[in-house]
Amino acid sequence: MLQLLQEGHSGLSRRARDYRSRTADGAIAMHGLVALWIGAAFALFFSGSQWTVLPVVGFLGTTAYGWVRYQGEAAKGLTFLTTIVTVAILALIISFLLWRSLPIVQQMGVALLTKTQPAGNIWGANDGTVWSLTPMMVGTAITTVIATTVAAPLGIAGAVFISELAPTRVRELVKPGIELMAGIPSITYGFIGLTIVNQYFYSEFRTPTIGNYLAAGIMIGIMALPTIVTVAEDALSTVPESMKSGSLAMGSTEWQTTKSVTIPAALSGISAGILLGVGRAMGETMAATVMLSHTKGFPTPVFDVFAGYGETLTTVIAFEGGNASGLHLSALFAGGVVLFFMVMVLSVTSQFVEWRMEKKLRGER
Amino acid sequence: MSNVRDTALHSDESTTSELAADGVLTVSFTAFLVSWALLFQWLDETTTVAGLTVLRLLGVALVVAAGGLVATGVASRLDVVDTTPSPTAGFSAGVVVGLLWSIFGALLATALLGAGTVLWVSTALVFGVVGSLTSVLPREDIGSTVPVSLVLAVVGGAIALGRIDGGWSWDPAWLSAVVPGSELVPILVVFGSLLAVWSGAKARHGFGAQGREAAAFALIGTVVFGMLSVLALLIGFIVVNGLETMLTGATLSGGRLTLPVIDVTIPWVSFPFLTNVTGGLYVDVPGVLPATIGTLWLVFGAVIFAVPLGVGAAVFLTEYAERGRFTQVVEVATNGLWSTPSIVFGLFGLAFLVPRISGGNSIIVGQLVLGFMLLPLVLITSREAILAVPDEYRDASAALGVTKWQTIRSVVVPAAMPGTITGVILGVGRIAGETAPLLLVFGGPPYPSQTPDVLGSFALTATPPFVTNEALLAPASALPYQLYSTITAGVFPKDIFTNQEFGWGTALVLLLVVIGLYAIGVGSRLYFRRKLHHE
Repeated sequence: MLQLLQEGHSGLSRRARDYRSRTADGAIAMHGLVALWIGAAFALFFSGSQWTVLPVVGFLGTTAYGWVRYQGEAAKGLTFLTTIVTVAILALIISFLLWRSLPIVQQMGVALLTKTQPAGNIWGANDGTVWSLTPMMVGTAITTVIATTVAAPLGIAGAVFISELAPTRVRELVKPGIELMAGIPSITYGFIGLTIVNQYFYSEFRTPTIGNYLAAGIMIGIMALPTIVTVAEDALSTVPESMKSGSLAMGSTEWQTTKSVTIPAALSGISAGILLGVGRAMGETMAATVMLSHTKGFPTPVFDVFAGYGETLTTVIAFEGGNASGLHLSALFAGGVVLFFMVMVLSVTSQFVEWRMEKKLRGER
Repeated sequence: MSNVRDTALHSDESTTSELAADGVLTVSFTAFLVSWALLFQWLDETTTVAGLTVLRLLGVALVVAAGGLVATGVASRLDVVDTTPSPTAGFSAGVVVGLLWSIFGALLATALLGAGTVLWVSTALVFGVVGSLTSVLPREDIGSTVPVSLVLAVVGGAIALGRIDGGWSWDPAWLSAVVPGSELVPILVVFGSLLAVWSGAKARHGFGAQGREAAAFALIGTVVFGMLSVLALLIGFIVVNGLETMLTGATLSGGRLTLPVIDVTIPWVSFPFLTNVTGGLYVDVPGVLPATIGTLWLVFGAVIFAVPLGVGAAVFLTEYAERGRFTQVVEVATNGLWSTPSIVFGLFGLAFLVPRISGGNSIIVGQLVLGFMLLPLVLITSREAILAVPDEYRDASAALGVTKWQTIRSVVVPAAMPGTITGVILGVGRIAGETAPLLLVFGGPPYPSQTPDVLGSFALTATPPFVTNEALLAPASALPYQLYSTITAGVFPKDIFTNQEFGWGTALVLLLVVIGLYAIGVGSRLYFRRKLHHE
């Protein structure tokens, strides 16, 4: 550990020396000044001051002067700044979510995520002092499971079709079609779900409420489908042609090759696609907001997908976020934290899985 | 394969068994389509053909398919026809059939016998084990046809004999809803016909490796066909329902356009749904103009914010930074931003930007939040585009004595422009339809009666920040937000449309905008790719 630290330290100091010797004094002054202006601007903006405009003008002035004198260094500094801003946005999102959800955590403790009794009255009970996210977490889990059940098999079938079976002409038609499906706004899916799917279930299956987990889950599944197809198809098509040719040359059929060579080789990529799809399904907001009934509770048994309850983490934020305050708002932020971290874990896992696949395939080449 | 007679080359003359298999495929695919038509209620379940209701006919179709399957399987087992079956149907077939039989057993126990938990679980287990054994133990031609057709025959028989029909309903205690026979039958038939397609395609191609390939391809083909149909249906629904609203009062020559310089008025296209405001007293045909303008401003602001940041970061990561800890962190952060749910961006805007910029919902916060969402996409795509620029370009430029920054500016970035532009267009298509964050930081009244006048609202003040813009700091409407507020608002203020009609019209306009952006994006990608390959 210590050695690692020392290495990092010596790397940093080496880089600092490099920077010092390769950059003109004026350019260093410019970089320093820009850093100062940006720091000041952020600090003023953070405190909500009207004077934020001054450091911004200072930054623009310094950059303009630096651009004329030391264009190369100015450009390098600016691109570095944009990179920092990208990372900073994520850091800000995380810290603000955590900071704003602090009050409800202090109020509720672990019960925020585990409280289940009394079943019908744990959101805003006791004069708005009890807010528990448990019903919404159950709702998110139910819709996500339904959506994954719909989307994963169909998505894999679609990916195999596009990358292995389809003739070139069909592929060129199907692939943009799937991409288009990903682009259709979620509110449009929600509108169709509300006016057609919900009504269908209500009139034919006599559900207790208009809107149920099954209908919303199916709709979310359809929406998560393109993500899975695209990522899994990418994975399938990165399997080296030599591996497939080898199998075909041994006399196996195309399906045997697909089943026993291509899919196992691309398995980690495919599972990355499914993980990303699950993340999309979890974070999907508008379709569920429009379709669910916004009653909070626990369906009993838990697989009663037509029960008169319907609320997920995303829908409660979208539906109540506009006019919430105090602890209520804080509870919504806590919901955002839960959501964010679940999706983040899925995303990081899928990146890791993909990275491993890349390494494996490169090693075997 | 030593025997030429066993290969597909020989199968010009179709045998009776192949005819039977073809029959199974035709019958089950027809049943598949008819069931979907019933589920979508294009076909009434009381329709009668030759004295039988459609539902009963579907049952008959399943029974016929089951009969055909058994016939081909048995014919193959008795070596009446030439096939190449494997010794066993295989593990996966065993699992599928076992699951099927156990579901079947469970339904039998609960629905018909009314059994308790212990009994139905054990019945399901017994059925499952028996089912997978009957499919795994015998030779493939029996194992992949007979167990499947048994299930098909029992289900189909129950439907054909009218045990399950339109009036029948299933009301299990653990489900809050009632499953009516009129819906259960098509659902059962959809799954049944998929099974029959799988088994029939296998039989058609003589089992073995060839048969399995045909079966898998048939199944995958059917599934993809279904998927594309869903897409077509979605778009079709919106177009059919929204077109009338969108074209209300639209004429080719009803409007008037006054040419600005020569001051002559000529007949012009009139399209009130696109050119009118939504609310207000003097509007006869309410339109979506405020929402369209709002969407344009949102997208414009997001692009202005995100494109320089994203391209700049991509340039730094690919051209300046050494690959190491820092680039890895940025990569993880980018992918994290990319997968962050949109509603979380909204929460962040609500907590961080709203109190510091406008104190309430406003256009500029909406622009920034959508810009945050666009940023990772721009970064990822332009980074890929820059990485795809061949190193020869950079080397050639460096060999001429050009500095690094000038190489980047005049060689690398222009070469990466096509990829970046495509990425930006596709990203814009995505954020143009984004709604969730707008609910928290952007949305104004549900039926706006004026369009945001952003350009005309710039004003100079004596106190900081010296330049203000009232319109940018005020809430507005955007197409997806308009659709949401139309859905959730109560009654539409004008008699001419209901809320739903106006919603369909808005949805169609939104869809056209998004599809238009996608078409441009995909088209430009194809164009640039072609150009690259020709060079």
